[in-house]
Amino acid sequence: MSNFQSVKSPKIKPGKRAFVNSPFPWLLPLGLILTFVFVYPIFEIIRLSFTDASLLGADYSYTTESYGRLFGHSEFFSMLLITAIFVSFSVVFQLFFGFIIAFLIDQGQKLDLKGTVIVRTSVLTAWAIPGVIIGIIWRVMYTETEVGIFNSLVGMVGMDLIPFLSDPTIALISVIVANVWRGTAFSMILIYAAIQTLPNDVMEAAKIDGANGLQRLFKVMLPMLAPIILVTLIIISIDTFNTFDMVMALTGGGPGQSTEVIALSIYTTIFREFNLGQGAATSVVLLSINVIMTLVYLKILGRQGEK
Amino acid sequence: MSHHNKTLVKKIGIYFSYAVITLFFLFPLLWIISMSFKTSQELFAIPPTLIPETFAIENYRYVLETTGVVNYLKNSAIIVFFTVIFTLLVSVPAAYALSRFKFKLKVPILITVLMTQMISAVVISIPLYRLFSNWNLLNNYIVLIIVYVSVVLPLATWFLKGYFDTIPAVLDEAATIDGANRWQFITKILFPTSMPGIVSVTILVAVQSWSQFVIPFILLDDESLYPVSVGVMNLQSTQQAVTTHYLAAGSVISVIPVIILFVVFQRLIVGALTSGAVKG
Repeated sequence: MSNFQSVKSPKIKPGKRAFVNSPFPWLLPLGLILTFVFVYPIFEIIRLSFTDASLLGADYSYTTESYGRLFGHSEFFSMLLITAIFVSFSVVFQLFFGFIIAFLIDQGQKLDLKGTVIVRTSVLTAWAIPGVIIGIIWRVMYTETEVGIFNSLVGMVGMDLIPFLSDPTIALISVIVANVWRGTAFSMILIYAAIQTLPNDVMEAAKIDGANGLQRLFKVMLPMLAPIILVTLIIISIDTFNTFDMVMALTGGGPGQSTEVIALSIYTTIFREFNLGQGAATSVVLLSINVIMTLVYLKILGRQGEK
Repeated sequence: MSHHNKTLVKKIGIYFSYAVITLFFLFPLLWIISMSFKTSQELFAIPPTLIPETFAIENYRYVLETTGVVNYLKNSAIIVFFTVIFTLLVSVPAAYALSRFKFKLKVPILITVLMTQMISAVVISIPLYRLFSNWNLLNNYIVLIIVYVSVVLPLATWFLKGYFDTIPAVLDEAATIDGANRWQFITKILFPTSMPGIVSVTILVAVQSWSQFVIPFILLDDESLYPVSVGVMNLQSTQQAVTTHYLAAGSVISVIPVIILFVVFQRLIVGALTSGAVKG
């Protein structure tokens, strides 16, 4: 690709065509839209976080009270803890299953097995379904009487029925399981793509050197895949931090606030409690998480180089 | 011979894992489809039946006739259609500039565009909600679609830029020698040669916009304007537990368009996701 770089961009003729020969008119619509929808709201949310504004009234004054109240309350930290648990478990299991499925599909293709496309499509379908519908589907499956599919299985093996959505700890696990189901496809597809690019001769050489399957997997394949796994990890972490729709439909943040992840907490604070100032302060916390993770992402991408 | 046996064992193991994986990922979908065909008595059968005893197609008729689902579907179709069109109108020229021009701000612009993609939709929707309610623009599809477009623009721009990069610059030069200006080059050469990339972006944008929830949830409060995602959520909160079969039918109706699109264009989407994400 890089050899085109040098011959790219034909000589620019000055004169009346100068307009289209500058990149900026081409980028103008993009710039305007992103400024309106991202830059303005970001400044506005930071400004609002330093006010005591309410969603209902127009009057407000500037204060740092919102942050004070946020960091002074244990509720904020328990919300962050819930979010951290939700994100870390979701991400670890999505990567784990994503890798295993990608590996199995690749192995199957090498052995000319049928059905690899069916496996891939079924995993991807879960990812294409709108988050709200995923929440509804899992909510139906988690029904807490023996009418529910999971609890009927639990009943069949003679165990007590599981309060999937009404026990605080179990509810969080239920949300994580549904989210792993939803998000595994993305990790799978990125890792699958990376496996395709692995040089075959390295794997063959390891085989000839007498490395067994597990050794090849851990000593050769995983190290080579490490960069893409890291990139995937960050992308899905950011995505999971921003999760809103699926949890909203599945538990609404409950019972109590036991599954209220940060995006949901922002919504509740502003649109249910009308506390705009504090919701904005929480938004700034989420925004900071987004920015920090993106910087890490760019750093890793930069280290990998432009090839 | 032992090598042959080993391969056979491996094959059986892989097939077994395929069965488990496929079952795990398809089961929830099959379950909701099964629920959508059950009668209200069968909903409460213990143990629950996997395949409905009688296929109660009237559930679908009930949902289509008495709830707003048809209207929600229509709304989603309108929003997604215009989102795709405007996204292409904005991202194609931008991606062209980022691919074909050399200028100092190129990398900062690419990074800024990427960063916007990482920002939570909830966070940006709140100031926009306030702004739109002051300007009487809540429940306005034009501004709503602009917000939809902006959310998918980063992905679309990065992906198209990557795609345009793979089209040899020799074509640009040939076109310039033939006296074509940039616009003619885009419409006559770049666009046709990039068709697979543009189709992939279209599908990705359509699937993402169909699923979009936060933005319409916050920026619309007129029920008649809801897209399916918000509409079905609304259905869930207004219906009683007895009506799970109707909720299931509504859910199935609202995912059918995405699933058809997805299965038909599966190969393209996989290609789009892998090339776009690995580069981006």
